[in-house]
Amino acid sequence: MASPTRTEALSDELRRLGSGSEGDRLSFRLVVAVLLRCLPLLRGVRRHLLAFFGIVLLLFAAILPLVAMGFDIFWTGVLQGSPLPEIQARLLLLDPALVSGVDVLSEAARRSVRDHALVAAAVVLLAVALPAAGALTYYYIWITQRINQELRLQLHDRLQTLSLRFHAETRVGDAIYRLHQDSAMVSDLIEAVFLTPVMHFGRHLIAAGVVFLFDPLAALIFLLAWPPALALGYWMSRRLRIGFRAARETNAALTARIQEILEGIKVVKAYGTEPAAQRSFEAHSRAAFDAAFGVRFLVCIFSVLVFGLVSVTTLAGYARMLEMTRLAEPVFAVALLIGFGFDRFTLGVFNLLKGELGWGSGSFRIIYRMWARAQDMAIGLDRVFELLDLEPEVQDAPDAVDLPPFQRDVTFRGVHFGYGPDRPTLEDVGFTARAGSLTAIVGPTGSGKSTLMSLLLRLFDPDAGSIEIDGLDLRAVSLASLRSAVSIALQENVLFGATVRENIRYAAPTASDAAVREAARVAAADGFIQELPDGYDTLLGERGTKLSTGQRQRVSIARAVLKDTPILILDEPTASLDAETELRVLRNLRAWGRDRAIFLVTHRLSSVRQADRILVFHEGRLVEQGSHETLLERPGGAYRSLVHAEAPPAPQRMAAP
Amino acid sequence: MRETFEARHDVSQREVLRIFGRAIRFVAPFRGRFAVKALLTVVSLFPPLLLPWPIKMQIDHLLEGHPVIPGDYPGFIRPLAEQLVGASPAEILLWTLGFQLLLVFTIGAMGSTSSERDQADARLSAGRDTATTTENDLNYGHSRASGLLGLFEFRWTLRLTHLLNHHYRSRLFERIHALPMTAFDDERIGDAIYRVMYDAPAITQVVYRLLLIPLYSPLGILLVTWTLDVAYGTRLLGWVALALLPLVGLATFPFAALIRRRGEESRMAGATTASTVEEGMSNVLAVQSLGANERERQRFDRDSAHSFGRFRRYIAAWIFAIACLAAVGLPVILWLARYGSDLVIAGTLTTGDFALMIAYFVQLATYAFILGTLWIRLQGNAAGLNRVFFLMDLPGEEDAPGAQPLPAVARGVRFEGVDFDYEDGTAALRSIDVKVPVGAMTALVGSAGAGKTTLAYLVPRFLSPTRGRVLFDERDVAGASLASVRSQVAFVFQEQHLFDTSVEENIRVGRPDATQAEVHRAARAAGADEFIRALPDGYATRLGRAGGKLSVGQKQRLAIARALVREAPILILDEPTSALDPDTERRLLVTLREAARTRLVLVIAHRLSTVRQADQILFLQDGRVLERGSHDALMADPDGAYRRFVELQTRGAA
Ligand SMILES: Nc1ncnc2c1ncn2[C@@H]1O[C@H](COP(=O)(O)OP(=O)(O)OP(=O)(O)O)[C@@H](O)[C@H]1O
Ligand SMILES: Nc1ncnc2c1ncn2[C@@H]1O[C@H](COP(=O)(O)OP(=O)(O)OP(=O)(O)O)[C@@H](O)[C@H]1O
Ligand SMILES: [Mg+2]
Ligand SMILES: [Mg+2]
Repeated sequence: MASPTRTEALSDELRRLGSGSEGDRLSFRLVVAVLLRCLPLLRGVRRHLLAFFGIVLLLFAAILPLVAMGFDIFWTGVLQGSPLPEIQARLLLLDPALVSGVDVLSEAARRSVRDHALVAAAVVLLAVALPAAGALTYYYIWITQRINQELRLQLHDRLQTLSLRFHAETRVGDAIYRLHQDSAMVSDLIEAVFLTPVMHFGRHLIAAGVVFLFDPLAALIFLLAWPPALALGYWMSRRLRIGFRAARETNAALTARIQEILEGIKVVKAYGTEPAAQRSFEAHSRAAFDAAFGVRFLVCIFSVLVFGLVSVTTLAGYARMLEMTRLAEPVFAVALLIGFGFDRFTLGVFNLLKGELGWGSGSFRIIYRMWARAQDMAIGLDRVFELLDLEPEVQDAPDAVDLPPFQRDVTFRGVHFGYGPDRPTLEDVGFTARAGSLTAIVGPTGSGKSTLMSLLLRLFDPDAGSIEIDGLDLRAVSLASLRSAVSIALQENVLFGATVRENIRYAAPTASDAAVREAARVAAADGFIQELPDGYDTLLGERGTKLSTGQRQRVSIARAVLKDTPILILDEPTASLDAETELRVLRNLRAWGRDRAIFLVTHRLSSVRQADRILVFHEGRLVEQGSHETLLERPGGAYRSLVHAEAPPAPQRMAAP
Repeated sequence: MRETFEARHDVSQREVLRIFGRAIRFVAPFRGRFAVKALLTVVSLFPPLLLPWPIKMQIDHLLEGHPVIPGDYPGFIRPLAEQLVGASPAEILLWTLGFQLLLVFTIGAMGSTSSERDQADARLSAGRDTATTTENDLNYGHSRASGLLGLFEFRWTLRLTHLLNHHYRSRLFERIHALPMTAFDDERIGDAIYRVMYDAPAITQVVYRLLLIPLYSPLGILLVTWTLDVAYGTRLLGWVALALLPLVGLATFPFAALIRRRGEESRMAGATTASTVEEGMSNVLAVQSLGANERERQRFDRDSAHSFGRFRRYIAAWIFAIACLAAVGLPVILWLARYGSDLVIAGTLTTGDFALMIAYFVQLATYAFILGTLWIRLQGNAAGLNRVFFLMDLPGEEDAPGAQPLPAVARGVRFEGVDFDYEDGTAALRSIDVKVPVGAMTALVGSAGAGKTTLAYLVPRFLSPTRGRVLFDERDVAGASLASVRSQVAFVFQEQHLFDTSVEENIRVGRPDATQAEVHRAARAAGADEFIRALPDGYATRLGRAGGKLSVGQKQRLAIARALVREAPILILDEPTSALDPDTERRLLVTLREAARTRLVLVIAHRLSTVRQADQILFLQDGRVLERGSHDALMADPDGAYRRFVELQTRGAA
């Protein structure tokens, strides 16, 4: 059942970017490459990592001898009654004459050694080991969180700068999933790239090496686990990767589904499609679980198989060593080992080697477990890099300059633009708007008015032609300076779940309260804001619900006004306002915007009359421009017919039944 | 910026118990499967008893050459010992190795040390915040054994975990969309996502821990104590383990509330971060065009760092609890070392026996700790459950018992003395007494914020009046079944929302079984057919996130088409023409007038051109119906508010 919902979930973009199934672009080498690619993220916490591992090593260096000594004291001294070396006696604050200078410890001496040793152990544990372990755990978590935060920020920045074209194609839930879950895979980077390979591979080799010194054949038998394990790893990894990708994608799709349903909850409720929404949710949820089930089960099979494999060779190694011990065979590297007192296989040697094989096989399994997890990490991180690798469509040119203060005019020159190939939305648009003028933009819906304005904000770049401010091409100026010189009240007013004041301040965070009120006054919003339960500090709901649409529209106008820029775009600012409020807003705006360039997109021709210039659009073309009077006089003109459409000569009404 | 839908803080221990009780009831549909899981868990306690023997046999009989006396072995391993009587060393080796191999494949162990045993598991990497760590809980599967038995138990558990989670999540989601419309004003989508995705999985952890640990921990203690009793004739260690239980419980108990609270804070901070991302992404047009990237970045930076910080605080609480545990455990270990070494010194115990004793005690203590820390380990999950149940407990829109379906409205809708206050106290409507007839077009007019949308919301019961009644043909909608009310209404919202599916599917939301011809007809009537056909794939074009590939006016027309295709007796349009050019508006009005012949059409509008077409006009101001009548009748009053409204517009336009 996974397939239909899953394919639905993958946007074209992602399908192109490599799904696990076809061609599995993540080979072994790429897994390593993805992980290595994260290493620069460690740069920010370099010092902390050094400090952390420095402290850990120091502690080990200090505590390990103590631990060894403690065991020695307890086993040989206390339990077996051998005298202690003098240094141990001194460390335990015991009289060396009593516990070192004798042949055998008396029972009383053994008891007092024991009591001292236990107190010492308790002190070291409580005073050093426990606090250190706690503090280091906390510290390490902090470090990994910093790494993760860094990656999250990079991803967030990239998401926010990718073009609207990208955003129209991708799902919000998918972005959330990438930001949270996929990026978190960087947390175990240090383990995957450094600790496990170094420590466990090292331990594995040491174990094999020790066994080799005693009996090369046993070591070789033990190492025989590698060839089949490598083959198994090779065979499994690809499947794991496909599984992990499926699991991540289905989970991201589920997140997206929830987000989409809740975003459209009004429509869902109004049209009673709750059952369908629920069905769709459950299908996605089940698909996500199915995918997770498949891959987790595979991981489990993998580790069970690896255990079986390494156990067989370990057992074979045991068998060989049992034989050697039974026959008391000489050890292999006698010349070397005799120095440690080993010349033949004994029960002691057997136990030593059994211990080594235990370590060796344990490390082997840890390496493989990490390998399985690394596939998941790589898939998650790959999903992060898919986004990080997308170049924003609109970027600062390398030699971008800041936009100088606006003085003269905004000019469109032969601008062509289309959202998709060969579907032009704007064709050959050219006009000039001067500072201190009001330019009205009218035309049927879908004729490209909002698109035109988004070009001025450089949300997109034109396909041909240019847009200039004071003769400077927009592509040559920095985005930040451009967007701080232009403000817009969007056609669909977007507010955030914050207070009214924070919403108005959204684009000008440092504005004073007085300025906020002034902006609200210009937008004719001050009055109703004051009447809200907490005035300017009233919390609005998600997306600014709790205000009526017309109220929200005025808040968003206030927001644009507060930004106080020389160029102002108002995209249908009065669509939801009654005539009286509309008149007031427009009058205020005119007064406020005396020396600015204002663009007013509107269907309400009543507000257009006062414009210095009217641009009339039709199907992406600028078909007429001029003042209200001149355009109205043009017989058969587009503007003229628009005006007549608005005020039909006489309403034809039907009688009520 | 803020949390809403906040769970109550600081639930008492009693309430936590209640929460757990509720959680366990969710297992009911799966009790059979759960019983199997419990059985498997118990079964997996026994195989370890087999593990030490083959190695002992190898050492005693192979290396040291002691003769095999089957009677020395416990009954369950005696058959193997009998095979070894009088066997050659090679045969002993083969038999014991063969037995070990069998153990490797059946239970995934060949000896009793940790490197010789495996546990079936599939934990994966997780981040350092609550959301990502729960990902492993969500896919919890585990067996104390490995090999075939472990694999089987793992698979069984994983399935069960998924079933439980799916069931629980689905119930939660069902509740969420059954909430009344006003609840969503306070809800943040990111928060709801967090609850469904990351809070809900808490249930399986609670259920497994609560039901399995009390089952297998005492059993484990019993088994080990029994072994010790058989081997050494002592039960003392068993008693010590039992004594540890309350100690462990008491040592950690004071941290329970702290851990729960911090767990909850961590979850809340995570949910806030999710909301921030969700809001920023959904409104990316606003963010980019207002030049607010930097601001969003800061917001996200702060929220995300905050949620990491909260998780660290949660971990810190755990670190303290564990330190406390260690402080309790230490004296016991010290006592054991003293006691054991006394026996060794006195010569009653060999060194080897002492080592064994320690090993057994570690097992005993582990079981005691697992059981003793049960309560505290449930607290992090209690926080998640609390957040989930909080949402589940919000009153939904369920029908009152005995709600009757409402017959199709034939005459009209009447408001009778209706007042409406929003929850925050805003008085939106006051003593509304009007009738909106079927077979006519009624326009609702008034200044912004007058209460038009609120009034319209009362009809399909998106809101219920604070006072007074809403009647369909003199039947109160309050007592009727919700589905029967809503199915009679087609509503076009003031702000459109489209889904990221095809044009056709978007229109079909109005009536899922509409034929293609009906969809096209509705689109034509809404003036949308023309532009739809010009789209790259016509009616099959996908609209992009939230319909982002259309202009606002185009979206509006699709939303109208969606309402028209529903062919419901009541058609409500909230400012349907606000984004339309005059020409399109005029065509739409013809359609609406046509529709109004057989239906109740209620149009909210500011534009005179739309209002004038209505048969009846209701003029709303500050939540009251100030005037009502036809355009001409209202214009006849020289001081009328409506007349003023009209004059303002015509003066503007003239
Ligand atoms: N992101 C997009 N991807 C593809 N096509 C788009 C996108 N946004 C808009 N369009 C298309 O571009 C055309 C112009 O849209 P635009 O929003 O500029 O119209 P408009 O003149 O502002 O209309 P309205 O008056 O309805 O707001 C429309 O046909 C629309 O379908
Ligand atoms: N969810 C809410 N919580 C609290 N107050 C609200 C809520 N929704 C609306 N209001 C308030 O109720 C009043 C009426 O709002 P309503 O949306 O009905 O106005 P409207 O007449 O539709 O206005 P508009 O023409 O701007 O759409 C307004 O003052 C508004 O601030
Ligand atoms: Mg537009
Ligand atoms: Mg409204």
